[in-house]
Amino acid sequence: MVQTLKLVFSNFKYLALAIGIFVSMLIGLLILSEYIFIEPYLVGHVPQGTEFGFSLIVILSGLSGLVLAMNIFRINLLKNSKGKMGSSVFGSFIGAAAGACSCGPIGFAVISTFGSVGATSMAFLTNYEIPIRIAAIGVLALTYYTTVKALKVECNLKSQ
Amino acid sequence: MNKKGVIIGGIVLVIAIGVIASFSLSSNETVNLDMGRTHGTVSTAMGSPILGDPSAPITIVEFGDYQCHACYNWFHNQKPAIYDNFIANGKANLIFVDLAFLGRDSPIAAQATYCAEDQGRYWDFHNVLYNSQESKIDNGWANSERLKSFAFSMGLDMELFESCLDSGKYSKRVQYNISEAKKHGARATPTFIIVGPDNQQEQFQGGQPYSTFKQIMDNMI
Repeated sequence: MVQTLKLVFSNFKYLALAIGIFVSMLIGLLILSEYIFIEPYLVGHVPQGTEFGFSLIVILSGLSGLVLAMNIFRINLLKNSKGKMGSSVFGSFIGAAAGACSCGPIGFAVISTFGSVGATSMAFLTNYEIPIRIAAIGVLALTYYTTVKALKVECNLKSQ
Repeated sequence: MNKKGVIIGGIVLVIAIGVIASFSLSSNETVNLDMGRTHGTVSTAMGSPILGDPSAPITIVEFGDYQCHACYNWFHNQKPAIYDNFIANGKANLIFVDLAFLGRDSPIAAQATYCAEDQGRYWDFHNVLYNSQESKIDNGWANSERLKSFAFSMGLDMELFESCLDSGKYSKRVQYNISEAKKHGARATPTFIIVGPDNQQEQFQGGQPYSTFKQIMDNMI
């Protein structure tokens, strides 16, 4: 596993890509989930009782950066199937959607536009925010595992 | 002579108790009877009673929903410090204006607070709701039956409260508040407008930390 990671991230381009995805997703989700505020002052805080949700966002962003960069590596260098890329994007998207708290502007826009249907879907995302994020992390962890395994086999095959 | 003295003494005592009771009620809660009440550009006429000194130089207007988790977090983590350092000492007061949009139980919860206001207990009911909020929206924690049980446990006159809630007496009041919030660009709960002594306003959204409120209000005073 370490060798596979070394193989991918020895290329600075993929390391930068992973860090870029991690940072942008982390900041985006922290703003969306109201851990960071940019107006009227730039301020960050973790309210009491929301520490677990905060940890899940960090894990989700980290895994997204790792898995997406590894799959882009596979597509670019090995010209391989894009199936795992799909599941990693799916996992990241679902995890991010769970953070779109219905109290926030996204929830407000959805509820204002779609009425009771929007309210029901936003309520679902809010009510099951933590389980959805855990499921998204599960999808990303599984994708990570299968990607590492696939890269091992594919790289061995290439070297032979 | 003695009998007369006892009667006069009794009357004086009853008056004194009445005066003390009315003062103690007004210090806890100012019932909103001013239909033309505004703070800055916000019409707060249909909003909550004023929490704190009505003549305080700063007014915090909170647009909120009783089912909103961010409002719950702000209520428990930030509001106590704001109350202690700004509201309790007369530097600021607070008005809650409903932006009840999150679920079907949100408007009825807001209406219930005004039914409690009829009995001089708006802020008590407001606090009970934020102390009783459950993690799931519309799971029944704020439905009509639960609201009535909160009222019962607070010792409100149930006949008055139930007739108020069941008749939808304050439905239009809550709708007015929602439209007032939208008119001011509130797109999330909680959204705050802080109105300073010279009617200068600062608006921002989210359950922001105490430091943000302190910085804004210190600049206004």
